[in-house]
Amino acid sequence: MKKHILSRLKRFTKISAALAATMFLWTPALLQANEDQSYQGLRDWINNSRPGTQSAVPGQHFSEKDRESILEALIPQAAWKYYFFDDMDMEIAATRQYGVPDDWGKKMSRDYKLDESGTLIDFTGGGFPFKEINADDPYAGQKVIWNMLWRPGSNDYDMPMVTWLRSEDGKLDRVMEYTSTNATYARGDHSLVPGYEDVKSKQIMEFRSPRDMAGAKDMSIRYVDHHRENSGWLYMPAQRKPRRTLASERTGELMGMDMIREDSMGFGGKIFENNWTYLGKRKVLATINVKTNPEFGGPSQWVPHKARWEVRDTHVVLVKPKSDDHPYSARIIFVDAETYWTHWMFAFDKKDDQLLRMNQHFLKYSDDYDKEPPQQASYIKQDFSKSVGHHVFLHLGQVDINAKKPHATMTHCFTNKKEFTAARAKQFYSLRSMISGRR
Amino acid sequence: MLMYRRQITKIIIFMSATLASALSWSIVNIGEDLELEGYVKAYNIIKNGASLFHDGELTHQRNTAQLEGKYYFLRDGELFNRFSAGPIDEATFTFLGRAVYDAAYDIRDSYDVLNDRGKEEYKIREAFVDIVMAPFSLRLGRQQVVWGETDNFRALDVINPLDRTWHGTRESWEDIRIPLWMARGIWDIGKIATFDETFLEIILIPDDFQANKVATKYPRPWAFRGIGLQDEDANSVLIGNTLHDLNVTVIDGAPDERKFSNMQGGFRFKGIWNDIDFSINYFHGFSQTTGVKVRSAGLDNLGAFNTVVETVNPRINVFGVTASFSEDRYTQSVFRLESTITSGVPVAIAPGAPHRANPNGNSFDTARQSVVMVGVDRPTWIPALNSLRTFFISTQFFWRRYLDYNNYYRGSFYDVRPAVVNGSTVPDHFVSVNEDKIDQDEFVITFSASTSYGAAGLWKPLFVFAYDPRSTGAYNKIKMEYLYSKHLVFAAEQHLYWRVSGSDQGPWGLGSYLGESGIRRNETVFTATYQF
Repeated sequence: MKKHILSRLKRFTKISAALAATMFLWTPALLQANEDQSYQGLRDWINNSRPGTQSAVPGQHFSEKDRESILEALIPQAAWKYYFFDDMDMEIAATRQYGVPDDWGKKMSRDYKLDESGTLIDFTGGGFPFKEINADDPYAGQKVIWNMLWRPGSNDYDMPMVTWLRSEDGKLDRVMEYTSTNATYARGDHSLVPGYEDVKSKQIMEFRSPRDMAGAKDMSIRYVDHHRENSGWLYMPAQRKPRRTLASERTGELMGMDMIREDSMGFGGKIFENNWTYLGKRKVLATINVKTNPEFGGPSQWVPHKARWEVRDTHVVLVKPKSDDHPYSARIIFVDAETYWTHWMFAFDKKDDQLLRMNQHFLKYSDDYDKEPPQQASYIKQDFSKSVGHHVFLHLGQVDINAKKPHATMTHCFTNKKEFTAARAKQFYSLRSMISGRR
Repeated sequence: MLMYRRQITKIIIFMSATLASALSWSIVNIGEDLELEGYVKAYNIIKNGASLFHDGELTHQRNTAQLEGKYYFLRDGELFNRFSAGPIDEATFTFLGRAVYDAAYDIRDSYDVLNDRGKEEYKIREAFVDIVMAPFSLRLGRQQVVWGETDNFRALDVINPLDRTWHGTRESWEDIRIPLWMARGIWDIGKIATFDETFLEIILIPDDFQANKVATKYPRPWAFRGIGLQDEDANSVLIGNTLHDLNVTVIDGAPDERKFSNMQGGFRFKGIWNDIDFSINYFHGFSQTTGVKVRSAGLDNLGAFNTVVETVNPRINVFGVTASFSEDRYTQSVFRLESTITSGVPVAIAPGAPHRANPNGNSFDTARQSVVMVGVDRPTWIPALNSLRTFFISTQFFWRRYLDYNNYYRGSFYDVRPAVVNGSTVPDHFVSVNEDKIDQDEFVITFSASTSYGAAGLWKPLFVFAYDPRSTGAYNKIKMEYLYSKHLVFAAEQHLYWRVSGSDQGPWGLGSYLGESGIRRNETVFTATYQF
């Protein structure tokens, strides 16, 4: 009996060892498949993975158990590592069609064109420059991005913000508070401020905390002529004077945040500095009309949790920088096919084609502000009713992840629509505003 | 009892700022209209010997509490959220108060002779009202106004004097400028012909003149005492081979602020032309560098040498232009330019100068001086040192020239030396010698580089280098700042003075003489800041 038990024990040990060895050999491969963050992995996902018949139904709440059956086909693969976690909760809303401002597309100049680099010439806003995107068009990628850059709601707001910088273990490294105020000058057949027809938009951003940055203020001007470089000034309280900045440097991380200036809304650079490929349309989940600024969850507290998502059709655009010195080998952007707001952006490291940075955006339709207002910033109370009726999306925040560090920057924007008069805009967005600050 | 009360007051001041900040995680809001922020900083300076870290000696244990506030009393045309303010759009009241206590004065017995001068400071440094009434804005009150493109050298940035008493000019100038009571009005003009973003700024300082503050009393660590003996004052004059006792009477000749004719003011017209920021500036003020006129000098019947000198701050007229341009295509740099011509700069005339060089016989003159500064700022990738973020590199070339120069011009370095008669040192007798001959052309080159490290960019190194190509004197600062949390910031820095060759002091406060025994300004600094 004793011998029999010993023999069974030996057999059990052998089988266990064999199983363990098998598991040991297979586990990295399984993990790798799940956490594939390569450029090729995302390209394959775009080409091959499609939502099945069992798709997202409005009102459903998805958790980790719905990952394989539904979510993997709707969340870009490079993001799986962060967006799928044990107690995840995604609420699904019906896919809506959203209206545009009443005069959108009615006051546009018609005399504009693309040059051979795909740069838009003589366009002055007031509507989308390209109503249709044709997949066969060699300039389809650029056209999607032009529509994104001239989308309604991209400017004309007060945007108090809070940004959290977190390590992979969830440790909060830094919190920043700042406010961006922004105005569209180019409005189709006229400029907000007569005489400034060359200006596309102006923005002033001022830091409020932490104290080592409080009062730092940045003004930037974008021009209608895309070939003309943006202008920028920085006021530092310690210097008590403005300093001209170099706007063409867009590839260094900003103030410890996990983004570069060129990552702004997926692409904030110059069209002619890149090669473009249109990769077709793809359905993705997007936080396009969140109830309010979402809380963050996941093991690192990096990603939206208990947020409301919508299945959206997106144009997928591949961007490859022409410069050999650029940190990215490629950038893939998912831009909403109806609203032209960016939902997802993935940028790959030139060294190994693995994910380097990504961002994902939270939006809210302005006309829903009366039913479901965003949160109030802790440091300013705003009258959100001002936003209702504008028929635009407002940016409520984003997640920026640097996969290589790894580290993330999460931002809540408490955006409220703001319309400047010509006189007030002229006064506010002026070099005069930059010669003094909080102190 | 009184002493205890003062100690308690100090503790309350420093602790209240800390406690107030603990209640919030950033600026403290009181209601919707009042914001408070500030910091408490412990600043420890150890001066080193001629070689780094050798023979360290604590010179400062300076604790600063700064409270800054802004009160928004008029918003969107409504005063106190109640009354219509007519054409005024916005108005705020800003104040900035500072309390300083340097514990080194209580730790070091050798500082007892200073009678607590420099030990404490309790001041409302800035207090002003901003009024916006488009297209005009007005700032009234005690404030700082900074003009120009130059960093840390004086050309157009001459409106506020500097307090150089406790750490020379090595601190952020925001903290050492002496705010003045003035009115600053701006008319935002906008586009005129081919000029964009233009505005006209006028400043008026009706009755607040202050000279640069400089400490002179030993053993204040940054006392301005030339390169000779630091712990002795001149008490003798050597005429021929005879040593005479020296008696100096000083008359304060600073301008009478109450006189209407002593008002200071100026204007700046700024705008953009073809992507070039430019400004034209003019300032009519008083020299903040104090000159000395010899009123009388001679031997009395008892053989003592008596001299009466008057400190003067002559009228200056500063005319300047600035420009900055962002060149994005070829150099990817921002170029900065500043040029000034200043009349009324005080200079000393060497003793024994001929009549043509010293026509008034008072060993004093005023000169015209020009400055040209060319600077370049560039965010620069150095992937081997930082693959995530650029280095911000800033360099300046600063050229100062005396336009009506004469060979007898002397600077401000007076050396105190033991009196030597016929080759023998006379005990307890010291003479003063000025061998600081001013060069007609003076140059200095500066370079700084900064970046940040760590996943969240919390480690912030800074490297600074300044070099005078004529005297070959140099200065380096190496600093590392660590943003430990949203409230706590730590910094360590090292200041080093050195030279390539020779012994010329040069005009900029650079060179190894500042690191040598006696002066010893090679410093190691540790700072802990609690900010809110």
